[in-house]
Amino acid sequence: MPESDDELMQRYQKGDEEAFNCIVRRHHKPLVNFIARFTGDRDNAEDLAQDTFIRMFKAANRYKPGRAQFKTWMYFIARNLCKNEIRNRGRRERYRVDNVITKDHTSLGNEDQIDLIATAPADKSFQPEVAIERKELQETTKKAITELPEKYRFPLILRDIQGLSYEEISKILELPNGTTKSRINRARLMLKDKLKPFMELL
Amino acid sequence: MNCLQTKDNFSAYFEDSLDNQTIQQFDSHIAACASCQKEYHQFQISVKATKQLPEIEPSPNFVPLLWEQISDEKTRNGPFLQRLYDLFNIPKWAIGGILILVLAGAGTFIFHDDFFIGDKQSNDVIVYSDSISDEDQQNITTDQFSPRGFGGSYSIGTNSSQPMQQQYILKRVSYTSASLAGGL
Repeated sequence: MPESDDELMQRYQKGDEEAFNCIVRRHHKPLVNFIARFTGDRDNAEDLAQDTFIRMFKAANRYKPGRAQFKTWMYFIARNLCKNEIRNRGRRERYRVDNVITKDHTSLGNEDQIDLIATAPADKSFQPEVAIERKELQETTKKAITELPEKYRFPLILRDIQGLSYEEISKILELPNGTTKSRINRARLMLKDKLKPFMELL
Repeated sequence: MNCLQTKDNFSAYFEDSLDNQTIQQFDSHIAACASCQKEYHQFQISVKATKQLPEIEPSPNFVPLLWEQISDEKTRNGPFLQRLYDLFNIPKWAIGGILILVLAGAGTFIFHDDFFIGDKQSNDVIVYSDSISDEDQQNITTDQFSPRGFGGSYSIGTNSSQPMQQQYILKRVSYTSASLAGGL
Protein backbone atom coordinates (compact mmCIF):
# COMPACT_ATOMS: atom_id res chain seq x y z
CA MET A 1 0.00 0.00 0.00
CA PRO A 2 1.51 3.34 -1.01
CA GLU A 3 2.40 5.79 1.69
CA SER A 4 0.07 8.74 2.20
CA ASP A 5 1.22 12.27 1.47
CA ASP A 6 1.30 13.02 5.18
CA GLU A 7 3.52 10.03 5.88
CA LEU A 8 5.87 11.09 3.12
CA MET A 9 6.00 14.63 4.48
CA GLN A 10 6.79 13.30 7.94
CA ARG A 11 9.62 11.24 6.46
CA TYR A 12 10.90 14.30 4.65
CA GLN A 13 10.73 16.36 7.83
CA LYS A 14 12.98 13.76 9.44
CA GLY A 15 15.53 14.34 6.69
CA ASP A 16 14.59 11.84 3.99
CA GLU A 17 14.73 13.79 0.74
CA GLU A 18 13.60 10.80 -1.28
CA ALA A 19 10.20 11.17 0.39
CA PHE A 20 9.82 14.63 -1.12
CA ASN A 21 10.86 13.21 -4.47
CA CYS A 22 8.02 10.68 -4.18
CA ILE A 23 5.59 13.52 -3.51
CA VAL A 24 6.83 15.41 -6.56
CA ARG A 25 6.48 12.35 -8.78
CA ARG A 26 3.00 11.69 -7.46
CA HIS A 27 1.63 15.21 -7.87
CA HIS A 28 3.54 16.94 -10.63
CA LYS A 29 1.25 15.82 -13.44
CA PRO A 30 -2.07 16.96 -11.92
CA LEU A 31 -0.38 20.16 -10.80
CA VAL A 32 0.93 20.99 -14.27
CA ASN A 33 -2.53 20.19 -15.67
CA PHE A 34 -4.24 22.46 -13.18
CA ILE A 35 -1.91 25.37 -13.88
CA ALA A 36 -1.98 24.87 -17.64
CA ARG A 37 -5.77 24.77 -17.72
CA PHE A 38 -5.97 27.82 -15.53
CA THR A 39 -3.39 30.02 -17.21
CA GLY A 40 -3.90 28.63 -20.72
CA ASP A 41 -0.14 28.52 -21.08
CA ARG A 42 1.35 25.05 -21.17
CA ASP A 43 5.03 26.08 -21.22
CA ASN A 44 4.73 28.44 -18.33
CA ALA A 45 2.69 25.88 -16.42
CA GLU A 46 5.78 23.76 -15.81
CA ASP A 47 7.71 26.74 -14.46
CA LEU A 48 4.87 27.62 -12.12
CA ALA A 49 4.53 24.01 -11.00
CA GLN A 50 8.25 23.97 -10.21
CA ASP A 51 7.88 27.21 -8.25
CA THR A 52 5.04 25.60 -6.32
CA PHE A 53 7.19 22.61 -5.37
CA ILE A 54 10.11 24.85 -4.41
CA ARG A 55 7.85 26.84 -2.10
CA MET A 56 6.57 23.64 -0.59
CA PHE A 57 10.12 22.38 -0.16
CA LYS A 58 11.09 25.55 1.69
CA ALA A 59 8.02 25.51 3.91
CA ALA A 60 7.94 21.74 4.40
CA ASN A 61 9.23 21.89 7.96
CA ARG A 62 6.29 24.09 8.92
CA TYR A 63 3.77 21.65 7.42
CA LYS A 64 1.65 20.00 10.09
CA PRO A 65 0.33 16.61 8.94
CA GLY A 66 -3.34 16.19 9.73
CA ARG A 67 -4.03 19.86 10.15
CA ALA A 68 -4.52 20.44 6.43
CA GLN A 69 -4.62 18.02 3.57
CA PHE A 70 -1.49 17.97 1.50
CA LYS A 71 -3.40 18.40 -1.77
CA THR A 72 -5.27 21.39 -0.38
CA TRP A 73 -1.98 23.01 0.62
CA MET A 74 -0.43 22.33 -2.78
CA TYR A 75 -3.33 23.76 -4.78
CA PHE A 76 -3.54 26.72 -2.42
CA ILE A 77 0.07 27.65 -3.19
CA ALA A 78 -0.41 26.98 -6.91
CA ARG A 79 -3.53 29.10 -6.99
CA ASN A 80 -1.70 32.06 -5.44
CA LEU A 81 1.15 31.69 -7.90
CA CYS A 82 -1.30 31.53 -10.81
CA LYS A 83 -3.04 34.67 -9.63
CA ASN A 84 0.28 36.49 -9.31
CA GLU A 85 1.32 35.28 -12.73
CA ILE A 86 -1.85 36.52 -14.34
CA ARG A 87 -1.55 39.86 -12.57
CA ASN A 88 2.06 40.26 -13.67
CA ARG A 89 1.19 39.19 -17.16
CA GLY A 90 -1.45 41.88 -17.36
CA ARG A 91 1.03 44.40 -16.02
CA ARG A 92 3.64 43.47 -18.54
CA GLU A 93 1.03 43.40 -21.29
CA ARG A 94 2.66 40.38 -22.74
CA TYR A 95 -0.22 38.03 -22.80
CA ARG A 96 1.03 34.71 -23.97
CA VAL A 97 -1.72 32.41 -25.06
CA ASP A 98 -1.32 28.70 -25.19
CA ASN A 99 -0.22 27.80 -28.67
CA VAL A 100 -2.50 24.78 -28.56
CA ILE A 101 -5.49 26.90 -27.70
CA THR A 102 -4.75 29.62 -30.21
CA LYS A 103 -4.41 27.12 -33.00
CA ASP A 104 -6.86 27.51 -35.79
CA HIS A 105 -9.71 25.29 -34.70
CA THR A 106 -10.63 24.29 -38.23
CA SER A 107 -7.26 22.72 -38.88
CA LEU A 108 -5.39 20.10 -36.95
CA GLY A 109 -1.75 20.06 -36.01
CA ASN A 110 0.73 17.44 -37.17
CA GLU A 111 0.31 15.45 -33.99
CA ASP A 112 -3.46 15.25 -34.50
CA GLN A 113 -3.07 14.18 -38.11
CA ILE A 114 -0.70 11.43 -37.08
CA ASP A 115 -3.24 10.27 -34.49
CA LEU A 116 -6.00 10.09 -37.07
CA ILE A 117 -3.87 8.28 -39.62
CA ALA A 118 -2.63 5.86 -37.01
CA THR A 119 -6.09 4.91 -35.80
CA ALA A 120 -7.76 4.84 -39.20
CA PRO A 121 -6.73 1.44 -40.55
CA ALA A 122 -7.03 -0.42 -37.25
CA ASP A 123 -10.47 0.77 -36.27
CA LYS A 124 -13.15 -0.12 -38.78
CA SER A 125 -15.71 2.05 -37.08
CA PHE A 126 -13.34 4.97 -37.31
CA GLN A 127 -15.14 8.08 -38.50
CA PRO A 128 -12.84 11.02 -39.25
CA GLU A 129 -15.71 13.50 -38.92
CA VAL A 130 -16.50 12.33 -35.40
CA ALA A 131 -12.83 12.47 -34.38
CA ILE A 132 -12.48 15.96 -35.79
CA GLU A 133 -15.67 17.09 -34.08
CA ARG A 134 -14.45 15.67 -30.79
CA LYS A 135 -11.11 17.38 -31.20
CA GLU A 136 -12.81 20.65 -32.02
CA LEU A 137 -15.08 20.33 -28.99
CA GLN A 138 -11.99 19.81 -26.82
CA GLU A 139 -10.25 22.84 -28.23
CA THR A 140 -13.34 24.99 -27.90
CA THR A 141 -13.81 23.80 -24.33
CA LYS A 142 -10.19 24.59 -23.41
CA LYS A 143 -10.53 28.06 -24.87
CA ALA A 144 -13.88 28.64 -23.17
CA ILE A 145 -12.43 27.65 -19.80
CA THR A 146 -9.61 30.17 -20.08
CA GLU A 147 -12.20 32.84 -20.89
CA LEU A 148 -14.19 32.25 -17.70
CA PRO A 149 -13.77 34.82 -14.93
CA GLU A 150 -11.13 33.79 -12.41
CA LYS A 151 -13.53 33.21 -9.54
CA TYR A 152 -15.47 30.67 -11.60
CA ARG A 153 -12.50 29.18 -13.42
CA PHE A 154 -10.68 28.02 -10.27
CA PRO A 155 -13.53 25.95 -8.81
CA LEU A 156 -14.54 24.55 -12.19
CA ILE A 157 -11.03 23.27 -12.94
CA LEU A 158 -10.58 21.89 -9.45
CA ARG A 159 -13.88 20.06 -9.65
CA ASP A 160 -14.22 18.87 -13.25
CA ILE A 161 -10.58 18.45 -14.27
CA GLN A 162 -8.79 17.73 -11.01
CA GLY A 163 -11.73 15.84 -9.52
CA LEU A 164 -11.52 17.36 -6.05
CA SER A 165 -14.41 17.25 -3.59
CA TYR A 166 -16.45 20.33 -2.75
CA GLU A 167 -14.94 20.36 0.75
CA GLU A 168 -11.40 20.34 -0.60
CA ILE A 169 -12.21 23.10 -3.08
CA SER A 170 -13.81 25.18 -0.34
CA LYS A 171 -10.64 24.91 1.73
CA ILE A 172 -8.38 25.83 -1.17
CA LEU A 173 -10.49 28.80 -2.19
CA GLU A 174 -11.31 29.73 1.41
CA LEU A 175 -15.01 29.81 0.64
CA PRO A 176 -18.08 28.39 2.35
CA ASN A 177 -19.24 25.09 0.91
CA GLY A 178 -22.50 26.55 -0.41
CA THR A 179 -20.66 29.33 -2.26
CA THR A 180 -18.33 26.79 -3.84
CA LYS A 181 -21.26 24.71 -5.06
CA SER A 182 -23.09 27.67 -6.53
CA ARG A 183 -19.92 28.96 -8.20
CA ILE A 184 -19.30 25.60 -9.81
CA ASN A 185 -22.87 25.45 -11.07
CA ARG A 186 -22.60 29.00 -12.37
CA ALA A 187 -19.26 28.20 -14.04
CA ARG A 188 -20.74 25.17 -15.77
CA LEU A 189 -23.70 27.21 -17.01
CA MET A 190 -21.34 29.89 -18.34
CA LEU A 191 -19.25 27.26 -20.05
CA LYS A 192 -22.36 25.72 -21.60
CA ASP A 193 -23.36 29.14 -22.94
CA LYS A 194 -19.92 29.61 -24.45
CA LEU A 195 -20.06 26.21 -26.10
CA LYS A 196 -23.64 26.67 -27.29
CA PRO A 197 -22.78 27.92 -30.80
CA PHE A 198 -20.54 24.90 -31.27
CA MET A 199 -23.11 22.46 -29.85
CA GLU A 200 -25.84 23.79 -32.10
CA LEU A 201 -23.80 22.50 -35.02
CA LEU A 202 -23.52 18.99 -33.62
CA MET B 1 -40.09 24.45 -9.71
CA ASN B 2 -39.54 27.22 -12.26
CA CYS B 3 -36.84 27.49 -14.96
CA LEU B 4 -34.45 29.51 -12.78
CA GLN B 5 -34.65 27.04 -9.91
CA THR B 6 -34.17 24.20 -12.35
CA LYS B 7 -30.97 25.78 -13.68
CA ASP B 8 -29.73 26.28 -10.13
CA ASN B 9 -30.11 22.55 -9.62
CA PHE B 10 -28.40 21.43 -12.84
CA SER B 11 -25.13 20.50 -11.12
CA ALA B 12 -26.76 18.83 -8.14
CA TYR B 13 -29.00 16.79 -10.44
CA PHE B 14 -26.06 15.88 -12.68
CA GLU B 15 -24.08 14.73 -9.62
CA ASP B 16 -27.09 12.95 -8.17
CA SER B 17 -26.97 14.85 -4.92
CA LEU B 18 -30.58 16.05 -4.77
CA ASP B 19 -33.15 14.67 -2.38
CA ASN B 20 -36.02 12.58 -3.79
CA GLN B 21 -38.61 15.31 -3.62
CA THR B 22 -36.43 17.80 -5.51
CA ILE B 23 -35.55 15.16 -8.09
CA GLN B 24 -39.26 14.62 -8.76
CA GLN B 25 -39.86 18.34 -9.10
CA PHE B 26 -36.84 18.66 -11.40
CA ASP B 27 -37.96 15.73 -13.56
CA SER B 28 -41.49 17.03 -13.91
CA HIS B 29 -40.26 20.49 -14.89
CA ILE B 30 -37.80 19.13 -17.44
CA ALA B 31 -40.49 16.92 -18.93
CA ALA B 32 -42.78 19.89 -19.36
CA CYS B 33 -40.26 22.57 -20.41
CA ALA B 34 -38.59 22.05 -23.77
CA SER B 35 -36.20 24.94 -23.22
CA CYS B 36 -34.85 23.54 -19.94
CA GLN B 37 -34.66 20.09 -21.51
CA LYS B 38 -32.41 21.44 -24.25
CA GLU B 39 -30.39 23.49 -21.80
CA TYR B 40 -29.79 20.51 -19.57
CA HIS B 41 -28.76 18.37 -22.53
CA GLN B 42 -26.16 20.98 -23.52
CA PHE B 43 -25.10 21.32 -19.91
CA GLN B 44 -24.38 17.59 -19.76
CA ILE B 45 -22.33 17.72 -22.96
CA SER B 46 -20.23 20.65 -21.76
CA VAL B 47 -19.54 19.10 -18.34
CA LYS B 48 -18.55 15.80 -19.94
CA ALA B 49 -16.34 17.61 -22.44
CA THR B 50 -14.54 19.35 -19.56
CA LYS B 51 -14.11 16.13 -17.63
CA GLN B 52 -12.75 14.37 -20.70
CA LEU B 53 -10.14 16.93 -21.61
CA PRO B 54 -6.89 15.07 -22.26
CA GLU B 55 -4.26 15.24 -19.54
CA ILE B 56 -1.23 17.34 -20.27
CA GLU B 57 1.94 15.33 -20.00
CA PRO B 58 4.75 17.26 -18.28
CA SER B 59 8.12 17.12 -19.97
CA PRO B 60 10.38 14.25 -18.84
CA ASN B 61 12.88 16.83 -17.58
CA PHE B 62 10.42 18.23 -15.09
CA VAL B 63 11.63 16.31 -12.05
CA PRO B 64 15.40 16.52 -12.74
CA LEU B 65 15.07 20.26 -13.44
CA LEU B 66 13.13 20.75 -10.24
CA TRP B 67 15.84 19.03 -8.19
CA GLU B 68 18.47 21.18 -9.83
CA GLN B 69 16.54 24.24 -8.76
CA ILE B 70 16.07 22.88 -5.26
CA SER B 71 19.79 22.20 -4.86
CA ASP B 72 20.49 25.75 -6.10
CA GLU B 73 18.09 27.07 -3.50
CA LYS B 74 19.76 25.04 -0.77
CA THR B 75 23.23 26.35 -1.58
CA ARG B 76 21.92 29.90 -1.88
CA ASN B 77 20.03 29.80 1.40
CA GLY B 78 22.25 28.42 4.11
CA PRO B 79 21.68 28.98 7.82
CA PHE B 80 20.43 32.45 8.69
CA LEU B 81 23.51 33.65 10.60
CA GLN B 82 25.79 32.42 7.86
CA ARG B 83 23.75 34.34 5.29
CA LEU B 84 23.84 37.44 7.46
CA TYR B 85 27.59 37.09 7.86
CA ASP B 86 28.03 36.62 4.12
CA LEU B 87 25.82 39.59 3.43
CA PHE B 88 27.84 42.03 5.46
CA ASN B 89 31.13 40.19 5.13
CA ILE B 90 32.48 41.86 8.26
CA PRO B 91 35.34 40.26 10.23
CA LYS B 92 34.35 38.70 13.54
CA TRP B 93 36.51 41.06 15.62
CA ALA B 94 34.65 44.03 14.11
CA ILE B 95 31.27 42.53 14.96
CA GLY B 96 32.55 41.92 18.52
CA GLY B 97 33.73 45.53 18.80
CA ILE B 98 30.39 46.87 17.62
CA LEU B 99 28.58 44.67 20.13
CA ILE B 100 30.78 45.90 23.00
CA LEU B 101 30.14 49.52 22.04
CA VAL B 102 26.38 48.94 21.85
CA LEU B 103 26.38 47.22 25.26
CA ALA B 104 28.47 50.00 26.82
CA GLY B 105 26.11 52.64 25.44
CA ALA B 106 23.08 50.76 26.68
CA GLY B 107 24.66 50.33 30.15
CA THR B 108 25.47 54.01 30.41
CA PHE B 109 21.96 54.91 29.45
CA ILE B 110 20.32 52.50 31.88
CA PHE B 111 22.46 53.40 34.91
CA HIS B 112 22.30 57.10 34.33
CA ASP B 113 20.89 58.95 37.40
CA ASP B 114 17.73 60.14 35.76
CA PHE B 115 16.81 56.83 34.27
CA PHE B 116 15.21 55.41 37.46
CA ILE B 117 14.36 58.74 39.04
CA GLY B 118 12.27 59.53 36.05
CA ASP B 119 11.41 62.60 34.17
CA LYS B 120 10.71 65.30 36.66
CA GLN B 121 8.78 67.38 34.25
CA SER B 122 6.09 64.78 33.86
CA ASN B 123 5.39 64.63 37.59
CA ASP B 124 5.54 68.33 38.17
CA VAL B 125 2.51 70.07 39.41
CA ILE B 126 2.48 73.61 38.34
CA VAL B 127 1.10 75.74 41.05
CA TYR B 128 0.18 79.30 40.54
CA SER B 129 -1.33 81.75 42.83
CA ASP B 130 -1.60 85.43 42.84
CA SER B 131 -4.01 85.79 45.68
CA ILE B 132 -3.59 82.90 48.03
CA SER B 133 -3.76 83.70 51.64
CA ASP B 134 -1.25 82.83 54.33
CA GLU B 135 -3.85 80.68 55.97
CA ASP B 136 -4.19 78.59 52.84
CA GLN B 137 -0.46 78.26 52.58
CA GLN B 138 -0.46 76.98 56.10
CA ASN B 139 -3.16 74.50 55.19
CA ILE B 140 -1.10 73.19 52.33
CA THR B 141 2.04 72.67 54.33
CA THR B 142 0.44 71.25 57.43
CA ASP B 143 -2.82 69.51 56.51
CA GLN B 144 -2.18 68.09 53.13
CA PHE B 145 1.19 66.52 52.92
CA SER B 146 1.73 64.61 56.09
CA PRO B 147 -0.95 61.92 55.64
CA ARG B 148 -0.91 61.87 51.87
CA GLY B 149 0.89 59.20 50.05
CA PHE B 150 2.50 59.20 46.71
CA GLY B 151 1.03 61.18 43.88
CA GLY B 152 -2.40 61.80 45.33
CA SER B 153 -4.25 64.95 44.58
CA TYR B 154 -4.65 67.58 47.12
CA SER B 155 -6.90 70.46 47.64
CA ILE B 156 -6.54 73.71 49.29
CA GLY B 157 -7.93 73.84 52.81
CA THR B 158 -11.61 74.30 53.05
CA ASN B 159 -11.41 77.06 55.61
CA SER B 160 -10.65 79.62 52.99
CA SER B 161 -13.24 82.25 52.37
CA GLN B 162 -12.15 82.70 48.78
CA PRO B 163 -13.86 80.79 45.95
CA MET B 164 -12.04 77.58 44.93
CA GLN B 165 -11.51 78.71 41.35
CA GLN B 166 -9.18 81.43 42.46
CA GLN B 167 -7.12 79.30 44.78
CA TYR B 168 -4.65 78.07 42.33
CA ILE B 169 -1.66 76.06 43.24
CA LEU B 170 1.07 77.80 45.00
CA LYS B 171 4.38 76.79 43.63
CA ARG B 172 6.28 74.43 41.42
CA VAL B 173 6.78 71.17 43.23
CA SER B 174 7.95 67.77 42.28
CA TYR B 175 6.33 64.70 43.73
CA THR B 176 9.47 62.76 43.11
CA SER B 177 11.74 65.15 44.94
CA ALA B 178 9.11 65.60 47.59
CA SER B 179 8.80 61.90 48.20
CA LEU B 180 12.56 61.44 48.30
CA ALA B 181 12.85 64.31 50.72
CA GLY B 182 10.17 62.85 52.98
CA GLY B 183 7.28 64.99 51.86
CA LEU B 184 6.77 68.53 50.80
